[in-house]
Amino acid sequence: MGRGVDRWFLILATLFAALGAVTGMLMLKHGRRSRWTVVWMALAFLAQLGFLSVRGESRGACPLIGSGEILAFLAWALTLFYLAVGPAYRLSLLGVFSAPLVVLFQVIALLPGVWVAIPVAVSGTDAWKETHSAMSVMGYGALALAAVAAVMFLVLDRQLKTQHLSSGLFRNMPPVRELLTSMRRLLWLGWVILSVGVVAGFRMPHGGEAHLHLFAALGVWLSYAVLLGVIQFRGLAGRHFARVTVILFVVSLSVFAFI
Amino acid sequence: MELVCLGLNHRSAPVEVRERFAVLDSRLGERAAELKSLPGIEESVVVSTCNRTEFYLAGESGEGAIRSLRELIGRDADGHWYEKHRLEAAIHLCEVASGLDSMVLGETEIFGQIKDAYRKAHEAGATSGVLNRLFQRAFGVGKKIRTETAIQEGATSVAGSAVELAEKIFGKLKGCRVIVIGAGEMSRQTAQALVSRGASSVFVTNRSFDRAEELAEEMGGRAVHFDEWQGVLAGVDVVISSTSAPHPVVMPFHVEAVRRVRKFRPLFLIDIAVPRDIDPAVAEIEEVYLYDIDTLEQLASEARTRREAQIAECKRLIQEELAKLNLPGT
Repeated sequence: MGRGVDRWFLILATLFAALGAVTGMLMLKHGRRSRWTVVWMALAFLAQLGFLSVRGESRGACPLIGSGEILAFLAWALTLFYLAVGPAYRLSLLGVFSAPLVVLFQVIALLPGVWVAIPVAVSGTDAWKETHSAMSVMGYGALALAAVAAVMFLVLDRQLKTQHLSSGLFRNMPPVRELLTSMRRLLWLGWVILSVGVVAGFRMPHGGEAHLHLFAALGVWLSYAVLLGVIQFRGLAGRHFARVTVILFVVSLSVFAFI
Repeated sequence: MELVCLGLNHRSAPVEVRERFAVLDSRLGERAAELKSLPGIEESVVVSTCNRTEFYLAGESGEGAIRSLRELIGRDADGHWYEKHRLEAAIHLCEVASGLDSMVLGETEIFGQIKDAYRKAHEAGATSGVLNRLFQRAFGVGKKIRTETAIQEGATSVAGSAVELAEKIFGKLKGCRVIVIGAGEMSRQTAQALVSRGASSVFVTNRSFDRAEELAEEMGGRAVHFDEWQGVLAGVDVVISSTSAPHPVVMPFHVEAVRRVRKFRPLFLIDIAVPRDIDPAVAEIEEVYLYDIDTLEQLASEARTRREAQIAECKRLIQEELAKLNLPGT
């Protein structure tokens, strides 16, 4: 395939996600729910697959080398979980909230300095390393979607508490209990996938520098384990739960940006 | 052939007149067939609900059909009946089917009642070319109006607003547990509305235990002594309070005491008492959503205003849809 096709695939995916976000928000402004958001997101997903396929072929491995590829893969995982979870739980508004995050991740991935125009083929791949990278980022996709659902909860909770109930956004929001349930399930899913990634990380061959990365991963894994434990056994008020979910995701993503 | 409608409704006639002309559901078909046998009437459908009795007729001459019907029903309530002829009758049926002519604007029950009345008349052999096409068209228009306008959006009563909010918090209400504190009429209506949407395990507490038992029995729930309601709080999702107490009955410490046991699950508090039963400070607890009578009434009023704003659009749609067809009899 011609040079630069991967970049066009990613640009196309970004445009589709942006269309999903804009049309969804415009419809919400008029008090209606857009049926097209899921379609735009599905098209974005196909374009993301195109990007990953071309990039994977160039690398001769899972395309998870450098921040750009990791962010693009994360955007793909987020879209994948939205498409799997959103329609099933009738959380169609999840698309309107997820699309901007997908756009953000992909725009950063396309920025000069982040984007690697000519990917170098990986010499000698290791199954554990590939599993570690892929599963960790996949897990982050589910955790990102949990954070999106948490933001939706915080918006809805504020509207209910302040009794601002006449907006189109309020009328189209899924119920509080459904948002809390989907947050919990997505966190469990993300954590289980992340567990596979962490185990694979400890099994892969690594030098001294990789240790820091693995301990950070273990720290993130433990933080989520504590959150899930508290939710499961003690319970947590929705607002606290949502805030911790968002903060934990932002912090853990930032940690890996610096390590 | 000419289409006519003779009817009376909640605006044209008081209940003592309406009840005299009401037709039992089970006799709608029979009554329509009876009318068809009158001179000048070739088709008929009888619609009868608590708010209206209407006869839709088709005959060679509209005047002739009306004359025959009036002879049958008598002249003593003449001032309460309205007549609609040709297109006006078709428009009226569409408005009735869409809930535009209902006491509660945009209500949906009437649509099913008209469908039922038409089905019974059709089965009794009382309808043919004119009324069949008219009613089918009216059902199509009714559906279009409900999907393309906001005529049925939002609850228009306090109880309805409470149910809508409960659904915004809990989604489907199946399995939701409710406690009613104070067995007054408003709390009965609100609890009934929640139960009709799937809420289960209704607990009722009242200073007079007999009254609590009475309401609990009506709801299929359980009566609780007034000094024991705090023990039930840990297990419920919705609290409806409507006592005549001069001071708050539900205080923050009541909810704080059960938060851990409830695992901080959302709790919806509906205060429909004046003076208020639930201390406003309870709303500061994170998982608590507290709504009082003023807010619920305001929500209902806003919904009514939104529905009223849709009337012109609905009427335009009806005109547009009827203009698409050359309905016989109009």
